[in-house]
Amino acid sequence: MPYHQFECSECIPERLHHAVDKNPGEQLTDALPLGYLNTIPGSISERGCAYCGAKHVIGTPMKDVIHLSHGPVGCTYDTWQTKRYISDDGNFQLKYTFASNMKESHIVFGAGTMLKSNIIEAFKAFPEIKRMSIYQTCASALIGDDIEATAAEVMEEMPDVKVFTCNSPGFAGPSQSGGHHKINLAWLSQMVGTGEPEIFSKYVINYVGEYNIQGDQEIMKDYFYRMGIQILSTFTGNTHFDDLRSMHRAQLNVLECARSAEYICDELRVRYGIPRMDIDGFGFEGISDSLLKIGYFFGIEDKAREIIAEETARWKPELDWYAARLKGVRVCLWPGGSKLWHWAHLLHKEIGVDVVSVYTKFGHQGDMEKGISRCEPGALAIDDPNELETIEAMYKLKPDVIFTGKRPGEVAKKIRVPYLNVHGYHNGPYKGYEGWVRLAKDIYNAVYSPIHRLALLDISKDEIPTDKEFETRQTLSDVKLSDEIKNSTVLRQCTSSYDPIPALREKMKKNESYLFPDPETGELRKVPVEKLMKNKVVDVEQ
Amino acid sequence: MDKKTAEEKMSQLEWYITKHCLWQYNSRGWDREIQNERILGKTKQILCGENAREDDSTADKYYWSEAMTLTGAFKRYFPWLEETSKEDITVIMHMLKEKMDYTMIKGSLNVELTKEQY
Repeated sequence: MPYHQFECSECIPERLHHAVDKNPGEQLTDALPLGYLNTIPGSISERGCAYCGAKHVIGTPMKDVIHLSHGPVGCTYDTWQTKRYISDDGNFQLKYTFASNMKESHIVFGAGTMLKSNIIEAFKAFPEIKRMSIYQTCASALIGDDIEATAAEVMEEMPDVKVFTCNSPGFAGPSQSGGHHKINLAWLSQMVGTGEPEIFSKYVINYVGEYNIQGDQEIMKDYFYRMGIQILSTFTGNTHFDDLRSMHRAQLNVLECARSAEYICDELRVRYGIPRMDIDGFGFEGISDSLLKIGYFFGIEDKAREIIAEETARWKPELDWYAARLKGVRVCLWPGGSKLWHWAHLLHKEIGVDVVSVYTKFGHQGDMEKGISRCEPGALAIDDPNELETIEAMYKLKPDVIFTGKRPGEVAKKIRVPYLNVHGYHNGPYKGYEGWVRLAKDIYNAVYSPIHRLALLDISKDEIPTDKEFETRQTLSDVKLSDEIKNSTVLRQCTSSYDPIPALREKMKKNESYLFPDPETGELRKVPVEKLMKNKVVDVEQ
Repeated sequence: MDKKTAEEKMSQLEWYITKHCLWQYNSRGWDREIQNERILGKTKQILCGENAREDDSTADKYYWSEAMTLTGAFKRYFPWLEETSKEDITVIMHMLKEKMDYTMIKGSLNVELTKEQY
């Protein structure tokens, strides 16, 4: 696998070892892009900072928490509401963001006193919220403000509140990944083991590295509940602060995004003996294998097989409708950290597209090992690309669509390549069987949009065709299809509703479908919906 | 089974693992050694009809769950396994373990594998 030389980066020789062409017959031991290194000066990276990684990615999805940034207001504003990590109890974590609003005078005279009064003010403004996370920023870290001491003072004065402090200023790592690392370990050290949960099932897991983007967690929760598995906590999507204090009581850590959350799983394994099981929540084969191995762990593989059979029968004909029409479509899989490996092989196998490039903004070499292994030969793998490199790659690879975040996505649109938002999603959730069909539908709509066809024409120089009649996505996509597929009575378009999450929440409230085995007797019984919505956690005397 | 045939069959199993299994990619070399040893060891035992459970610990249960899932996938993807003798399976799985150890640990270019902490 030779390293890939971008023409635009010839003036930055260090960039050479950050990109690799995957050629047939070559192996990971031949070449592997460098990763998780400081961005090279002169390279305009798309990365976030370590504060953003800690607060925005991992901290903020917790739903009953005041998330307060100790720093200038811009830090908190720029990490607010840009990702759709929804919750099932009113979205407090999305509606509000808090900052201590440091100014120049605080840099000179200190901001600890102001921070304390701001914490108290925030708790008084929202008296129903009793939990808080405080995030250090570059400004407050550089002047040495002691957020831990301030939090301790507040907790002494207000015994009914708990405050978690995250010391991950923006400069504390090469990218947002440094922040993931810091908040994982901070949570483990400060919070895990301080709460004792009520165990209501024989089978108990933590669902780790899952942030409930547009409802992903709620899709997976439905599967787990149908298997009778109690989710003690989700790290950290759609979860309560106190649930995460009781992570030490799970029998198994089911790990989804290893890039952002493997650290806490590894430490929970060392300190508490809880095994780490990595899963794929995306793609039919990925989910099926994952549910099956969780089933094997608890001895309930038959339950897993029932769900796999039911969901596959329900959604496979719809996935195949899109796969037939997306065969050979060229895509660049350019997400942040984990989706390049969660998706690469199953996009090709199950949706039919060709992944011509994978990249990661903040992944480590381990993520590249997975991504390169899972994509097909011929793909270009890039670590921490700069904007000019992505533009050069798009001109060279000529993809039909890019899967990325909204900043690089807008760059793609400028050169007339459509993009799907795979961070906050276009029309997610994308997890689960239904979610994978929703992704296929979004790809189809992006690639075959008649409006996009018009955008490919440059009215300043191209001849505008006048002989074209009305076009739809399907007239464009079905041109090369056989009659057998076109007229199939088995295959059908996506029938998922506009938003499948309200129906799932209604199902939970009705509480007619979920039975959990008693931890002592194994007898199957219903658990009150209040407990499913919010489990009881009792403080441990420290 | 001659060596060339065994190598070809081993390559098929290796292809499946590198494409589908996440357990081989733990971020530290010592974890990868244990994962390869325990999961591939148990997979070989299950394929050969041997007892693959050592104790009732959650750790053993975890390795066994991965091995059971891998065995099922191997049989689904590679029907030739059903007609392969236990002796040949043992040889192929031994070669596979050696190859995985090389690709993922000894020959790996991942510089994080030797970091001392998580």
